[in-house]
Amino acid sequence: MKKNRRLMYYIIAGIIVLLLPVIVRNEYWTVVFVRVIINMIVALGLNFITGLIGQMNLGTAGIYALGAYGSALLTNKTGCSPWLGLLFAAFLGLVIGVALGYPSLRLKGVYFSLTTIGFTMIVQIFLNNLTGLTGGSQGVQHIAPFTLFGMAIDTYVKSYYLYLIFALVALFIANRIVNSKWGRLFRSLRENSDAVEMMGVDIASVKIKAFCVCAVFGTIGGAMFAHFYRYISPATYTTDVSMNYVLMVLVGGIGSVPGTLVGAAIITILPELLRGLGEYYLITFYIIILAGILAFPNGWIDAGQRLITRIKSHNTVKQKGA
Amino acid sequence: MSESILKLSGVQKRFGGLQAVYPLDIDVAPHSIHALIGPNGAGKTTTVNMITGVYKVSGGTIEFDGKDITNMKTYKIARLGIGRTFQNIKVFPNMTLLENIMVGGHQLTKIGLVRGIFDLKGTVAEENMLREKAESLLDLLGMYDVRDHLMKNLPYGRQKISEIARAMMTDPKLILLDEPAAGLNPSERAELINVIRKAYNNGYTFFLIEHNMDVVMTLSDDITVLSFGKKIAAGKPKEIRNNDEVITAYLGRAYAKS
Ligand SMILES: Nc1ncnc2c1ncn2[C@@H]1O[C@H](COP(=O)(O)OP(=O)(O)OP(=O)(O)O)[C@@H](O)[C@H]1O
Ligand SMILES: [Mg+2]
Repeated sequence: MKKNRRLMYYIIAGIIVLLLPVIVRNEYWTVVFVRVIINMIVALGLNFITGLIGQMNLGTAGIYALGAYGSALLTNKTGCSPWLGLLFAAFLGLVIGVALGYPSLRLKGVYFSLTTIGFTMIVQIFLNNLTGLTGGSQGVQHIAPFTLFGMAIDTYVKSYYLYLIFALVALFIANRIVNSKWGRLFRSLRENSDAVEMMGVDIASVKIKAFCVCAVFGTIGGAMFAHFYRYISPATYTTDVSMNYVLMVLVGGIGSVPGTLVGAAIITILPELLRGLGEYYLITFYIIILAGILAFPNGWIDAGQRLITRIKSHNTVKQKGA
Repeated sequence: MSESILKLSGVQKRFGGLQAVYPLDIDVAPHSIHALIGPNGAGKTTTVNMITGVYKVSGGTIEFDGKDITNMKTYKIARLGIGRTFQNIKVFPNMTLLENIMVGGHQLTKIGLVRGIFDLKGTVAEENMLREKAESLLDLLGMYDVRDHLMKNLPYGRQKISEIARAMMTDPKLILLDEPAAGLNPSERAELINVIRKAYNNGYTFFLIEHNMDVVMTLSDDITVLSFGKKIAAGKPKEIRNNDEVITAYLGRAYAKS
């Protein structure tokens, strides 16, 4: 009974997601939904470091930028397929994972966070100043869209569906890792790494693995962004962006895959809903998010579930009374 | 001679000007319970930290199971078969008891991170292996019924015992226990003695640091006594109990002649 009902919810949610662009029939919102999908992938990656291992990584913007530029520049300069660019972005992710993983072994807490902020700033400086390669502050234009069976994925709706497939793959992978012995090991590292080492675990290699997964998800998200907007510039990749990804991991439910998806959706969609407030929209957004973190320390999903059980028990009490 | 599972020869530790451990010899016999006792600050934890590679030795050599492990990395020493519990408990408070124990078995498994994503069958088999092993350990130590409780919600005594179970999960040849009875009430202490006994009877070897004389005298086959970093005595419990130097340095009159 219960299982059937849950399956029904999943099917309904699946149908809504599948028909979303058709339901809204609105370019603006379709773009927002594409951004939600990209952000979900990036946030699922960050969840390994910030959600499970518990290290505050504020370098996501830098990772994302390198993925976007890596894929865009490779396709633009060589004329190769964006799919190859995507592969290259993933490879860059592995390199970044190792490069960020090593400092994370020695630097704890706020020192690690500062290092990741520094990483993002260095990336930005390079993107701005290597004008010959990156186009400097002008950015990179005319980036090719993905193609599928000879069809260019050059509309918002087509992109939505292609990226939905990407997101499903990312979701599958993230779910498998989080719910495996590796996810458990990552969580135990957050709890007490001395004890983990005494179990014979080579912490350095485990952390670097986690950083690689995180960075590959991030660079792939970056490449998706580049081939969707078809124009990128360094100004996009600021530490604010990194901060928003951390919020995505935190607000939904720390460490959990559904929590990260909900977090990505909230942090991406809410500002758009608040745009009507004009100059006050950003401050309202941050107040809501902050209040949410204070009011629902276990995340919005947990809060939602509590609300539902409360309504249910309220209803049964009513029925009994009647 | 490979008569001892663990052999310390002239092992010493200096912290700047402080000689925490003077050249120290210890032999732990296979399948035994060897206790290291001594007053606060005697250098017991420092010794354990040198054995496990947490601290580099300032001199001497440590041999385990016939191999020189002096100054090896902690995780490599652990892989050779040394498990450990900590004086100031180090559990995973926001994970369940069962998860705590299962992490102990991570190194027994083979499937890597990438293969694990796609090898559905293999991961299920490994996970079942880990769960069954952890559950049977918890069963042995009498904590099976609370396996799904979060660690932080368990009483302190059970958290300490779970640290022993987690160490046992790695299939070690030797387990170092750093003051397992500290902070336990008498009934928890009795349970702990019971647990160590059971584990010993199941083939485990222990190197036990302890202040509590009930525990030490009940369990130990051999005792080494440290005081201010120096070994002042070594022998069977009976000999230690009757050693004048030990009595004055540490034990007090109560245990002198019983
Ligand atoms: N990391 C360190 N740096 C400097 N001194 C240290 C360090 N660790 C231990 N010591 C000193 O070495 C001496 C031995 O300490 P140790 O912790 O080994 O004692 P212990 O026998 O375990 O005592 P206790 O029964 O209180 O646990 C003490 O004087 C302690 O202050
Ligand atoms: Mg100590």
